[in-house]
Amino acid sequence: MTITPIARASQARSLGRMLVVRVLGTIGILLVLSIIVFSMLHLAPGDIVKNLLGNRASSPEAIAAIRAQYNLDQPLYMQYLIWLGNALTGDFGQSIRLQDSVSNVIGSRLGITAALSGLAFLLALVVAVPLGVQSAVRSGSWIDRFATGFGIVGLSAPTFAVGLLLLYVFAFYVPIFPVYGAGDGGLDTLWHLVLPAITLALGLGAIILKLTRTAMLRELETDYVTFGRARGLPDRQVHLIALRNAAIPIVTGASLVLTFLVGGTVLAETTFALPGLGTLLQGSVLFKDIAVVQALTLLVAVTIAIIALLADLAYIFLDPRIRAKESAQ
Amino acid sequence: MSSTEAIVLAKLPRSRRRHPVAVWLSLALLGLVAFLVLFGNLIAPDATAQSILDSLLPPGSPGHLLGTDELGRDVLDLTIAGAASALVGPVCVALGSMLLGILLGTVAGYLRGPIDFIIGRWTDLLFSLPLLLAAIVVAGVFGAGYWMTVLLLILLFSPSDIRIVRAGVMEQAARPFVEAAQMLSLSKARIMFTQVLPNVWSLVITNSMLNVAFALVAFSSLSFLGVGVAPGTADWGRQLTDGRAIMIDNPAAVLVPALLIIGVASAANLVGDWLGQNLTRTGRS
Amino acid sequence: MTETRMTNVPASGAGLGSGSSIGSGTGPGIDSTAQVAVTGLTIDGPAGVVVAPFDFSIAPGETLALIGESGSGKTLSAKAIAGLLPAGFSARGSIALSSATIELPSTDAVWRATRGRRISLLLQDPFTSLSPVHRCGTQIGMTIDAASATRLSREERTARITQSLAEVNLPAEVARAYPHELSGGMRQRVAIAAALATDPELLIADEPTTALDASNQGEILDLLRGLQEKRGMAALLISHDLGMVRGRAEHVLVMRHGEIVERGVTSSVLNAPSHPYTRALIEADPSLTDRSAGVVRTASGVGVTPAAANADSATGDLVVATDITKSFGDKTVLHGVSVTVGRGETVGIVGESGSGKTTIARCIAGLEHETSGVIEFDGVALATGRASRTPKQMQIVFQDPYSSLNPMISVGRSLKLALRVAGRPASDLNGLLQLVELPTDFASKRPAELSGGQRQRVAIARALAVQPQLLICDESVSALDVSVQKQILDLLSKLRVELGLSILFISHDLAVVRQLADRVYVLRHGEVVESGPCHDVLNAPTHPYTQALVAASIHEAPTH
Repeated sequence: MTITPIARASQARSLGRMLVVRVLGTIGILLVLSIIVFSMLHLAPGDIVKNLLGNRASSPEAIAAIRAQYNLDQPLYMQYLIWLGNALTGDFGQSIRLQDSVSNVIGSRLGITAALSGLAFLLALVVAVPLGVQSAVRSGSWIDRFATGFGIVGLSAPTFAVGLLLLYVFAFYVPIFPVYGAGDGGLDTLWHLVLPAITLALGLGAIILKLTRTAMLRELETDYVTFGRARGLPDRQVHLIALRNAAIPIVTGASLVLTFLVGGTVLAETTFALPGLGTLLQGSVLFKDIAVVQALTLLVAVTIAIIALLADLAYIFLDPRIRAKESAQ
Repeated sequence: MSSTEAIVLAKLPRSRRRHPVAVWLSLALLGLVAFLVLFGNLIAPDATAQSILDSLLPPGSPGHLLGTDELGRDVLDLTIAGAASALVGPVCVALGSMLLGILLGTVAGYLRGPIDFIIGRWTDLLFSLPLLLAAIVVAGVFGAGYWMTVLLLILLFSPSDIRIVRAGVMEQAARPFVEAAQMLSLSKARIMFTQVLPNVWSLVITNSMLNVAFALVAFSSLSFLGVGVAPGTADWGRQLTDGRAIMIDNPAAVLVPALLIIGVASAANLVGDWLGQNLTRTGRS
Repeated sequence: MTETRMTNVPASGAGLGSGSSIGSGTGPGIDSTAQVAVTGLTIDGPAGVVVAPFDFSIAPGETLALIGESGSGKTLSAKAIAGLLPAGFSARGSIALSSATIELPSTDAVWRATRGRRISLLLQDPFTSLSPVHRCGTQIGMTIDAASATRLSREERTARITQSLAEVNLPAEVARAYPHELSGGMRQRVAIAAALATDPELLIADEPTTALDASNQGEILDLLRGLQEKRGMAALLISHDLGMVRGRAEHVLVMRHGEIVERGVTSSVLNAPSHPYTRALIEADPSLTDRSAGVVRTASGVGVTPAAANADSATGDLVVATDITKSFGDKTVLHGVSVTVGRGETVGIVGESGSGKTTIARCIAGLEHETSGVIEFDGVALATGRASRTPKQMQIVFQDPYSSLNPMISVGRSLKLALRVAGRPASDLNGLLQLVELPTDFASKRPAELSGGQRQRVAIARALAVQPQLLICDESVSALDVSVQKQILDLLSKLRVELGLSILFISHDLAVVRQLADRVYVLRHGEVVESGPCHDVLNAPTHPYTQALVAASIHEAPTH
């Protein structure tokens, strides 16, 4: 028999080893990215000192101060190591545009962006998963047609275009939602976030819907669904079996959702003039406020890496076959 | 299920098949836009001509069907001329990414080994950053122009093509007909490109059609954020940025290009899906 | 018109021995003691009638076998009775069970009350019929819950699951296992436990053992038989294998192209088939025919086939593989296997899946790199891999006819490519097609237009186009229907005499190897456990494993 306690124990051990490998791989990719992000400072067009001075006067003292602050007289690899060391402790330097430390600038805007993405993600999940399941189960019905149409438009419509359309409708015809800014905090801010969140949720929902529908359609055609029906399981239970199996490809698609979320947040914030990280990035890019851009890029990369790692873990948790295969290696 | 029964089933009208009407409408819209791309500059040669006298006319004004913007530019002319800027880039992105995908994906999927490893890590790296973010940062900080943005997006789009081709090639390469070709001692390059690749075409074409849609979205998003397309250029994404402030005076300046972007991207997506369903059905035996 | 033709069928069945619960001229409702009586079952497809009307009934505790090749409509019939026809198909007729009568086509509500509780369907492939992410106990428990009127307590459910597992001879801890942790045979036992947990009146088993190894097949069928007798449950056994039903079904229906061509008591159908198609099926089934061939051989006292004589006259060995070891990672699949193929000789390698039989063939072909050992061809040692080999040395015919031809390339182009490699003119194409007994207009066809047997003929033609010295057949007939299998084996026998080919024939099927091979190697867990002349090894095996294999293959077709 293959299911001895010993086999289980060694399975758990090699699962641990596999986890370590994944984590190391992620750290590797992040290191490579950090080098790219660091070199942005040196690769940006124009004189590096002038870029760092921004609008300040370029007196010899100011130049000397900048050279000292950014260790520009050290060898390149030392500059990188110092920069990385500072970054790891949360010190990304000064924003030349906002005249404040980068961590302060980011910290003050993080809340809005987190609330916006969280709200949009929740909204998309609550609508798209049930809709995807129903559209697969009743393939060809009006609900399926509606879902398919919604999926295509949602995937194709750029977030800002949807945002502008909503803005137009709600600003001029149904003025129930505020259309600009973030409000005065608390419930008022939440109220201000409704339209941007719907805008963002449309694209997110379309991706989740498509993933769910495709995965469910595939699962519903499998033998174990037929066998479930053949031995008299109720429809609900059969659909749950299919959804449990479909969860694997759906979670695997999480990276797709995340990628969309990051880009979409920038566009939604810009469209609705929300003072979040997205508008901060856009402003900093156009102003060439490189320290902020570097910090934001790294922040996003780390967030994505962590979530991708969690998705991988969920994947292993969801699929016992992967557990067996991984531990067999 | 037995083979004959499978064949009978394959001939069934599939309930999931998209309504051909929607596909025809999409093709018609894509055809119209292609016409604008090719001849837009002839139809509206003075699209970017400014006129202080005509500034901010509402839709339906004499001589300006869709009104004008705050610089007095005719919105209809701008939209017609803007098709080229909005679409040439995305199509080039899809084609370039397809080419990269075919080359690197086939080589990685068929040869495996160290080449596959290197290409795999390369796509991992590109995938680990969100496409739009990377494009905004790189194009923005380096002040990339239109064609630099095209190259950048080709690079950023290629991982999906590489992975799709690689997966398709790997699936095909494990099949006995490929081993039969190996038994005839054909060269690797010949097996890759004459035996394996033809079976992956349907995937490639479908993905490229979808890429056109996503590149259109990415391109217009970039120009909306003020990256990639120079100010003053006739471009749909640009029109949305410029038109945001005058939405009350001339809604058409925003709504028309916004609906066009959504419509064209939806049409390309729909045709891509439709191709995917029909090509894969004939491509598989 | 099909209607009139089909009403004749029960009449012909009436001639069979008394006590037959099927057929009989008394019309529907035939046997008052029947557990299940199906009348006028007809299946309509998108392009008209797919299965013409037929009747049958099954007494409690008895088994009716429905035999047919793929595409005959037997699986559709099974699905129709379970209310699981795919979209586009519909059924007519009625199903009378002791507790209810279902008029077809029926509503979802009726089927929900019927499936599981009255009729259960067991599917062919145990590797796909259980959900991979649910524990086996959970899956059995779902059926129990679905059938019970009240909500069961945790302990009660666990006890019922353990009991269900015990019935199929599995220990209670299997409940905690995932399907992938079990062997194919064990999975099929779990599936049986899940299908029967609701105590149905009728079990439909659709090819329940086709996906299993030979040694498991008999056990599963006997298990089903035992459960059925114990519960007094009627069973409909769907199979392509006429040999399998001997001793395992009281009555048999033979279906072809959606029509019943023969019906009756199993032993009389097997011993005295009345329809030519049934006779052809029996003749084509190696496990049923070779028994007599073996008798002839022993009686004549000469265990030599024409090809074996041929081998004796040949000089020297063509392939000598010595002490071949092959590891994938830390898993070793071949432990020092040595195989020799003489000129003009046909050598069989027999073993179950996982025995390493395919790997040794692939090492010889150069498609796999052996870890250690020496492969000599024509007296010259070959380095591993394809680079050291030429097409003219050897070619392979693979197992799966559906993927061994490039779907995007026409038959003619595939064959011309092979001819060009061998430096032969494209005009040899017609001769090549004739060699494998295919019409010459097949050159313009795509593989998708061909049947499995036709594709395998094309694959053989492609292999022979380069005039190889050695032909490797890797399970080349095992994916084919029995009658087609026979044709391909006949073709191979003809070709080896005509072309003086040496053949290395890999198969899990003793009966097939027995038909073709001069010498045989028996592989188990990557080691040769026995080898020698085919006749000696298979008729008087010395190794216990070979004995078990031979016993299992005879078990499939027990002698009287």
